[in-house]
Amino acid sequence: MNLKKSRNIRSSSSCLDGIGRQDGESKRKRKMAEITQALNATPVNVATLRRMAISEGGLITDEIRCKVWPRLLNVPVENIPEKLDEVNRENDKDYNQVLLDVQRSLRRFPPGMPDEQRMGLQEELIDIILRVLQNNPQLHYYQGYHDIVVTFLLVLGERLATALVEKLSTHHLRDFMDPTMDNTKHILNYLMPIIERVNPEVYECMQQAEVGTIFALSWLITWFGHVLSDFRHVVRLYDFFLACHPLMPIYFAAVIVLYREEEVLECECDMAMMHHLLSQIPQDLPYETLISRAGDLFVQFPPSELAKGVTQECTQQTAASTFTDFGLASAQQRPDTVLRHRRREQQQQQKNGNAVDPQRGTVAVFRPGARRLVRLAVMGITVALGAAALAVVNSALEWAPKLDLQFL
Amino acid sequence: MAYAYLFKYIIIGDTGVGKSCLLLQFTDKRFQPVHDLTIGVEFGARMITIDGKQIKLQIWDTAGQESFRSITRSYYRGAAGALLVYDITRRDTFNHLTTWLEDARQHSNSNMVIMLIGNKSDLESRREVKKEEGEAFAREHGLIFMETSAKTASNVEEAFINTAKEIYEKIQEGVFDINNEANGIKIGPQHAATNSTLAGGQGGQQAGGGCC
Repeated sequence: MNLKKSRNIRSSSSCLDGIGRQDGESKRKRKMAEITQALNATPVNVATLRRMAISEGGLITDEIRCKVWPRLLNVPVENIPEKLDEVNRENDKDYNQVLLDVQRSLRRFPPGMPDEQRMGLQEELIDIILRVLQNNPQLHYYQGYHDIVVTFLLVLGERLATALVEKLSTHHLRDFMDPTMDNTKHILNYLMPIIERVNPEVYECMQQAEVGTIFALSWLITWFGHVLSDFRHVVRLYDFFLACHPLMPIYFAAVIVLYREEEVLECECDMAMMHHLLSQIPQDLPYETLISRAGDLFVQFPPSELAKGVTQECTQQTAASTFTDFGLASAQQRPDTVLRHRRREQQQQQKNGNAVDPQRGTVAVFRPGARRLVRLAVMGITVALGAAALAVVNSALEWAPKLDLQFL
Repeated sequence: MAYAYLFKYIIIGDTGVGKSCLLLQFTDKRFQPVHDLTIGVEFGARMITIDGKQIKLQIWDTAGQESFRSITRSYYRGAAGALLVYDITRRDTFNHLTTWLEDARQHSNSNMVIMLIGNKSDLESRREVKKEEGEAFAREHGLIFMETSAKTASNVEEAFINTAKEIYEKIQEGVFDINNEANGIKIGPQHAATNSTLAGGQGGQQAGGGCC
């Protein structure tokens, strides 16, 4: 299929991602071997895959992503039907909107891709979106959803993308797919408390300007797919997000703001100026550093911690808000042998009150008392995040209480 | 650059009618045939002159899709002018004007000047909404009306500037309380110096500010 060409281009270039050239090559080879080993293990070693997806360079090539992303989302590839359902475009309530948006999404395709090939992919993109929406009438299409779907399409091809996007839509993206963005606003409310804890000065400056959090809206609901122009960066981030808690994009957003500390502090204390500054995302961000920082922040200030620290009226606390960040929401567990196995291990470790076996990557090193800013070894981060993400999640808000802060 | 007044605008209307393109044409004098869609709100600014006075327009461009309504609504607050845009080649975007108008009136201050814009006037062959229909709608609801083309730039300047003129007149007539920023009007630093009521808060920082 014509998709292949673009995939090859990507695969060969994405290996440079974050890894220096010389000793990068051997590191990369070692990492690829480790991933292969984890994939071939029985049961598949999902914890290691998660760690690989988070750690420097992510999953390296799109070929590997095709194998690992389904594992991260717990989608059994063997059960995906060979032939996709026909999509009925006539009478589809979303068709016109999706068509309009997909027609405008030229920037999401690799520059230099022949028009014909791009148009074919755009048709597939429409079909994936409509198929998922038709199968899940509770989901509502939002502009920006297609920015996420296109990433999956370009990496995985139509068949795999459909299965993974469906899973993602009913879980990580679920809150964005309500008829209104009210729940999304709640999720955005996690942004400022993170910034406050790390850099009160930046926080204060933003509060004074009354900038709100809408500048980060497109970042959150497209997983940065809408704002980053280099596809390699986008997929690298997707590796990270797929391996982590659904609120991780918020932590990453916070890290970007914090990284721009100087600009924020120098900015005119005016809502419009500040919004303008923050919404223009620099394209040359040090992604690997920021990813690792976001992981650090998550471990130090997990969502439950953020919710606690802020005075607020919690209008609604879902059952899962009692979920301890690195524990497992057992009720959400799906009958998957791998996960069941992992969970038993996890519970055993928690019972023992201690984390063990860093080799396997199942340690939970988080101590609730620790408030200082520590640099955690990538291993530690990976482990904690991995544990958090191991449970089959429903949606971000089921994992965390709503923060009802009015920042705007 | 120093300004006498700052007016806050909001651009609203269905998705794909050309809101961002109108803004881009006005602020940058260019046209992007395939403009990426707006998620949430974006922002642009430009200086204009009315009655010999420098006026800074601060324009908030909003996402058109229904799901974003609860987010974009909060930007009506504190807007002195609104451009309500439809696409003359898409009847449905015209049909939704009433909903937009109700929404705008409900969430904005009552003096907000609303300009109705039928965009894409260059696409005459695909026209679905007659100019007269736009005029009639505007007359009925007390709006100013114009057909524009973000592509050819036809009437784009006029749309933004005429709205500003209307706001300016309202200021002259004393309709707007210019000391209340919630009305979407701010007195610039040069005026503020002679206007002690505005000295508090951020006034001092304004002098060096204003990048646009």
